[in-house]
Amino acid sequence: MSDATKHLLENLNALAAGLFLLTGFGIVATRQARGCLNLFIAQSLLLAASAALLGLRYNSAHLYGVALVNLVSKPIIVPWLLRRTSPAGIYTRREIDQVLNIPTALLIAMALAVGSYFVGIPLAKAVGPDVRGPNVPIGIAVLLLGAFTLTVRREALPLLIGLLAMENGAFLAGIAIARDLGMLVELAIATDGLIIVFIMGVLVRAVQKQVGTTAVGDLASLKEGSPEAAADEALL
Amino acid sequence: MAERVLFNLLQVAVVLIFAPLASGVLSRLKEMVQSKRGPSMFQPYRDLWKLFHKDEIVSEDSSWIFRFTPYIVFVTPIFVALLIPVLTSYPLFFAFMGDMLGAGFVLALGGFFATLAAVDTANPYGPVGASRTRMVGFLAEPVFMIVFFTVSFVAGSTIPYIVQQKWVTPLANFFAPSHVLLVLAFIMLILAEGGRIPVDNPTGHFELAMIDESKSLEYSGRGFALVKWGGQMKLFVLLCVLLNVLVTPWGLAAGQSYGAVLLAIPLVLFKVFCFLLVLVVIESSLSKLRLFRIAEFLGAALITSVAAMMTQIFLP
Amino acid sequence: MSIIVILLLPLIATLLVCVRLGKRWASGVTVVFCLADLILVARLAWLVVAGVAPAELRDAAWSNWIAVDGLSALILLLIALIGTTAAIYSVGYIAHEKPEPKRLRLYYANYNLFIFSMLAIPVLAEPTLVWIVVELTTLCSALLVSFYNTREALEAAWKYVVLSLMGAGVALFGFLVLFAAMHAGGGGTYTWAGLLAAAPRMPPMLLQAAFLLILIGLGTKVGLVPMHTWLPDAHSQAPTPVCALLSGIETTSILYVILRLFPVMQAVPGSHAETWALVLGLISAGTAAFLLLQVHDYKRLFAFSTVEHMGIILTAIGLGASANYGAMQQILNHSVTKSFCFFAAGAALLAMGTREIAAVRGLIQRSPAAGAALIFGGLAITGAPPLAIFLSEFSILKVGLTQGRYVAMGLLATFIVIAFFGVMAHLNRMVFGAPTIAAPQHHQPETAGSFRLPFSCQLALILGAVPVLVLGVYVPKPLHDLLAMAAAALTR
Repeated sequence: MSDATKHLLENLNALAAGLFLLTGFGIVATRQARGCLNLFIAQSLLLAASAALLGLRYNSAHLYGVALVNLVSKPIIVPWLLRRTSPAGIYTRREIDQVLNIPTALLIAMALAVGSYFVGIPLAKAVGPDVRGPNVPIGIAVLLLGAFTLTVRREALPLLIGLLAMENGAFLAGIAIARDLGMLVELAIATDGLIIVFIMGVLVRAVQKQVGTTAVGDLASLKEGSPEAAADEALL
Repeated sequence: MAERVLFNLLQVAVVLIFAPLASGVLSRLKEMVQSKRGPSMFQPYRDLWKLFHKDEIVSEDSSWIFRFTPYIVFVTPIFVALLIPVLTSYPLFFAFMGDMLGAGFVLALGGFFATLAAVDTANPYGPVGASRTRMVGFLAEPVFMIVFFTVSFVAGSTIPYIVQQKWVTPLANFFAPSHVLLVLAFIMLILAEGGRIPVDNPTGHFELAMIDESKSLEYSGRGFALVKWGGQMKLFVLLCVLLNVLVTPWGLAAGQSYGAVLLAIPLVLFKVFCFLLVLVVIESSLSKLRLFRIAEFLGAALITSVAAMMTQIFLP
Repeated sequence: MSIIVILLLPLIATLLVCVRLGKRWASGVTVVFCLADLILVARLAWLVVAGVAPAELRDAAWSNWIAVDGLSALILLLIALIGTTAAIYSVGYIAHEKPEPKRLRLYYANYNLFIFSMLAIPVLAEPTLVWIVVELTTLCSALLVSFYNTREALEAAWKYVVLSLMGAGVALFGFLVLFAAMHAGGGGTYTWAGLLAAAPRMPPMLLQAAFLLILIGLGTKVGLVPMHTWLPDAHSQAPTPVCALLSGIETTSILYVILRLFPVMQAVPGSHAETWALVLGLISAGTAAFLLLQVHDYKRLFAFSTVEHMGIILTAIGLGASANYGAMQQILNHSVTKSFCFFAAGAALLAMGTREIAAVRGLIQRSPAAGAALIFGGLAITGAPPLAIFLSEFSILKVGLTQGRYVAMGLLATFIVIAFFGVMAHLNRMVFGAPTIAAPQHHQPETAGSFRLPFSCQLALILGAVPVLVLGVYVPKPLHDLLAMAAAALTR
């Protein structure tokens, strides 16, 4: 492989990673539940693209496997499973009152992303000289953005997507530093998203049946303090 | 030396002449997409011609600012056209006067005077538009800054002639994330600064919803013609920066001969018209944002530009 | 083949439970299979103590996937033991709730799958696989937590799932970094043993990062303090036998994964792994001790006590090699005692029909068995002599004091005392005093006056009390050897 091709592949991989980061920001800020899902699908496709490009670059069959598993499990099986397990209403939900308003949330998200760079770069350097490209810091950034999404959203689907985005971030960083972990990573990718979607989907369905809402983040009756106060809150 | 001065003036002439055509083509394309029967694409020329032959009415209560502003709005894009590569890929005679940052400031000067002039008359709609423009401007400012910083970081320079080569040598650099994300952010900026659709509706006639247009409501005759022409040139100049410096630095004249430079004119126009198609798609598929969601739109632009900067600076 | 059989039995039970064969079928199958598993695990532990490697471990093809040493054997033994007593307890307890047959089957299927996923954690040798089964424990236990389908149970399950999966994401990245560290250190087989061998060659910075990521990620599921918020909810809203499993062994088996990293970290000079453990442990123990004081739900009381005990175990690990034996003993004692406590709390719940501490008075008159068990459990879990926890806490404090860590040990002793008063003050009020029958929530007491516990609950209480009593005064020789082997597995 010529140097120019290598350079091109590295740049394309970095581009996929950069757009991956943008989808992470999008998931923090998108109001529409459906939009969140679409962003997640785009994110998974970009993860697959990054894995395939790195596989091409380093000639690693294992990374092709990661790309393939990602391509099948996340954009296809996850929405399918979601439709099977969770109530249909979660797609059409819009979130008007997020915990933080969107510009503030985006600013904090930006600070998180910048911070993750200072962690990710030394980490990538410690692994070895052939870990190029922004995969590690961007992976960490999206991991943090996913966690941040979990704290600012209340609606079920965005919360679910936040968790899945965290896993995506971990994998984006992982494929750059642990290139030949073998089939186990593929297994982890395949099972993990499905476990998350299955359990959350089942819970959301139960919550909607019992409580009549899919804004799961609003459930907050369990806490310490006097029993009367807790009972009052449960009534509200 | 004389050639360089001449080419430089030719650049100005191209901007002057083709800017109305670009906006005419844009509105014609939009009409075609929306299956309307609109005026021809040369309509802006006729408009300008008509306005130059009309009487100008100036409010007695307005100050000198109101009278001078059309000239400033008209001159600033011309000044910028001296600095940036419109036709040639090498710096021309006046290019030493400023870099991309300078060009940005010169354009901002025109915007500043337009805002003052809008407040100058007692027209109630002027200040509304002026304050909205300032709001968009404030929000766009950090994005502009980060875009320029990233450009200068990548290219080691803010001089457009150096920057434009950096992105395409080798060609793999074209796909660098910093480049693609910067272009995305810059397109969003052009939409905001040019008053295009997700931010402002340039063809709207409802004063309360106007952002950019309401600043020129009080102008008439020659003043209005200058303001209008200046606005068209500003968009053209921004498109030149986007296309010739950031996206596609091909088709510019590399040689010093007259033939090469004259050949560059249709090529550059071709690029501009191609991009206008993209703009039409954007404008036809999006709807105008509510005023307070403009912050979110520019927030997205900011995030994009920051992502561009980070992927570049922190590349291990 | 015994190890494979140990893992297969709960899976077979899961399938058998789904067959529709009468009311008693599902619970009977679960109890029988758990007992069989307990016998097999005990035999395996015996073999490990005797120094005889089981057949699989001698086979090279298996040894990359399966490994059992003293530490794994201890955890396996605890899982099988508590799994069995909780299964026995479930028989009467769940039947008392009178669920529909479908939900009953679902409960036992999840129960067996949960036991399987926990048994797989100490057996598997490959960290990524361990991570996958940890996810599996989350899946099964979340469905068990939400079993009652009430608003509170669903809220608890939701919080549990979100935080655990969040932690799992972080831990996953940690395991990937761990692999990268190994790769950067020249490679080897990615197993616990392989990690131990490769540790001196790994870049310290990467190892450090991996350790912290896994500590935070899995620490969420253990219930370490900044990440503990889900634990009291989930451990109190679940059906009581499940609470015993969650508090007694699930936390411990996840903690086991973190413990596996300590010998690896010892290869790195200046790794501070022990300091992290000490600090996080003290914070957890302290926060939980103070939160104990203001609970209003007695199942939450024991849930917070779990957080406290996880803190104590981590503190002990933080003291270094000499306290490892005490830490292992604490793990053992906490598991048997905490499961007993939840059995007692469940008995009180059956008798009184409410989880509110304020609503329960004079439990000992309404149900002497439940009242006595509750007070006994309270004394045992807070470390009253001569019960099991006292012994291990005392030995931890002793090691700490001989090392001259007066501040840490002073804090730990203070937290233990606060927890003692917190728990006993609440329980005293519940057990003694004039009896009241509270407004029933969803457990309807059949008759006022005295209440008779289901037979299987009584049996589970007696079975659960035996180790609590015995281990306080006498640790049998094989068990002592097992604990010593487990402690030895924590040092290089």
